[in-house]
Amino acid sequence: MNQRKFGERDSVDFVIVGSGASGGVLAKELASEAFDVVVLEAGPWQEANQFTHDELAVERENAMLNLAFEPVQTIRGSEAEPKRPNTGRGLTYRRGVGGSSVHFAANYWRFRPIDFKERSKWGPISGTGFADWPITYEELEPYYTKVDWEIGVSGAPGPSDPPRSRPYPLPPVPNKSSGAVLERGARALGLHAQAAPLAILSRQYDGRSPCLACGHCSYYGCEFGAKSSTLATVIPKAVATGRCEVRAECTVSRVETNASGRATGVLYWDREGKERRQQARAVIVAANGAETTRLLLLSASPAFPQGLANSSGNVGRYIMFNGHAGVFGRFEHPLNEYKGPVATRVVHDFYDADPKRGFYGGGGIDARFNYQPIGFALGVLPDDVPTWGPEYKRALADYFTHSVRFYAHLTSLPVATNTVTLDDDHRDRWGRPGLCLTYADHPDDTKAKHWFRDRAEELMTAAGASRVWAQPVLPIDGGVQLLGTARMGDDPRDSVVDRYHRAHDVPNLFICDGSSFVTSGRGQPTMTIQALAYRAAEHIARFARSDQI
Amino acid sequence: MIDAQLTRRGFLADTARLGTASWLALNIPWLTALAGCARDDARAGFVALTPAEAKTMRAFAARIIPSDDRMPGADEAGAVYFVDRAFAMPVFAESVTGLRAGLADLDARARAAGAADFAALPSRHQVNIMREVEREPFFEAARTLVVIGTFADPSHGGNKHGAGWTLLGLEHRPSYSAPYGWYDAHADVDSSKRVA
Repeated sequence: MNQRKFGERDSVDFVIVGSGASGGVLAKELASEAFDVVVLEAGPWQEANQFTHDELAVERENAMLNLAFEPVQTIRGSEAEPKRPNTGRGLTYRRGVGGSSVHFAANYWRFRPIDFKERSKWGPISGTGFADWPITYEELEPYYTKVDWEIGVSGAPGPSDPPRSRPYPLPPVPNKSSGAVLERGARALGLHAQAAPLAILSRQYDGRSPCLACGHCSYYGCEFGAKSSTLATVIPKAVATGRCEVRAECTVSRVETNASGRATGVLYWDREGKERRQQARAVIVAANGAETTRLLLLSASPAFPQGLANSSGNVGRYIMFNGHAGVFGRFEHPLNEYKGPVATRVVHDFYDADPKRGFYGGGGIDARFNYQPIGFALGVLPDDVPTWGPEYKRALADYFTHSVRFYAHLTSLPVATNTVTLDDDHRDRWGRPGLCLTYADHPDDTKAKHWFRDRAEELMTAAGASRVWAQPVLPIDGGVQLLGTARMGDDPRDSVVDRYHRAHDVPNLFICDGSSFVTSGRGQPTMTIQALAYRAAEHIARFARSDQI
Repeated sequence: MIDAQLTRRGFLADTARLGTASWLALNIPWLTALAGCARDDARAGFVALTPAEAKTMRAFAARIIPSDDRMPGADEAGAVYFVDRAFAMPVFAESVTGLRAGLADLDARARAAGAADFAALPSRHQVNIMREVEREPFFEAARTLVVIGTFADPSHGGNKHGAGWTLLGLEHRPSYSAPYGWYDAHADVDSSKRVA
């Protein structure tokens, strides 16, 4: 892509670390406000025509994630345990322009008013840092709407949706059979299955193609540009301003600070492995809840011995992934869930936590069967189906087109002992320490998974499935939603950034991505990450214009 | 967001069934290397498997997903050609030893039963031998390769002419249009109104 090139000695207004859901939005907004912006992205700049449907390459070999130089990640249940290689999910994110917004499933739920003030309503929860956000839904609503219209979100209002100031710009995508059977189950139980909002175009929009229903959203890059990733939406616009340079394959090693405690820019390795410096009036870290943590901790200095912006000790703390629970069903007629976007209907009747359940937790249940053939054949069939032989073959031929999963997306509590820390025993190609996840599910999170699995099972039965089987409830060992590791708050003793994403400790350092979250929401955090980014960009631009950075 | 079912470090994290296949989990890097290997579609001969191994592997695959007169199985899909490619990867070298030993063991058990080799046995006798070894790490690793070889993109050597997709009932087109399945095609009028 042709773009403005800044010279090595040019100091720009902003250097942004990361080009994903948040970094892409910040780049476009700030460049549009006539600021000079350099975006540094660790992974390559892959375009839509480089994406593939090859399941072995994408899902089994992780072709989308560009992991080649990632060190082994480690995991432990508590600090008392030895670290062991994380052979489970780990901290999962994509390196590449557009970040994980390229290969995500594009579910775009808004948070609701309760998500921002739940601590006040519910009360304290033992063993957690459960807290209110310093901002409200009402403050964020205009930015949710901005996301809808800027990137293109398809949907329709549901019965318990939060207020919105403008309708969806696009109608929902066509319903799938998964959505139709979820509607059946919900109706039978007096619940409501509503159109799932998706950052996927149901019609042509802003010069981009509508979804062609190829069935490869989750984990794949969209070859048609119909998925509203930052790669397909705001990054080309940021570049088109002539004030933004996106440098791919550039790994930031350190945020530099001066004697007065201000950020001066970043050090990074370029694609040839040469160490370079980018100076800037202000630094914005938008690298995701894992890599933001690593960068801040690696930017320790005598003035910031615990890591940059970490006087609270909360950098890397309170990581939340969102819990999940799933139940499969086999139906009499074909559903053909391999076609179309991942999920088209969701039940939100259980969104709010309810003390009567005996635990804290809430969530939504959608309907999907996002398995490609290998993943399906190796891991989905009921336990009583043999894993080889004629019966296995019959099940393969029957279940692939006839099955669906009702899948719950749940709260996770912010637990102080759930952390991402540096792991000196494992290093990447640059010699940087790897990441260790120390994590144990809060008991309420475990109860929520079981409770929601039971609700999903009731829905599946009510929907008329001829066979119902559940996924095991397993402890979380990582995930794709990397939330809470540099939380937002008014009190510098207890939070990393203020309500405008400015680091409490460093006046010209801003941190804006999933790490800013105070609570987890109910899964599907990307919409909120982007609303926060639009809001942050507006305030950061204001600060920059009035010499407050 | 991305489905929790998907794991990036292997096949194995999410389901209890696959959790038993830890032997293969330790050998994931070969899959990564495979992504970079040449993807020609040549079917002439085998690169890594000896003729005897290919014969045994093919017979094994045909018992994992058997052929019948209605639907293609692993043999029609040419899964053994994918397995051959997997064997050829240097990074898989350590695991190949175990797989080769497993194939040799199948032949040895067949010979003990009076046959020339595993492939020469009637299928029900092959099944009996496979039942004897199905708890061994070799079995799950070999089974997994057969399944991948049946369903992976044909550019990887197996799934010939999309035979695996035919078995699943997957049309394999670059795009689709609604209605997708029976239930959305037969949705109630009132439910479509609800989201209009």
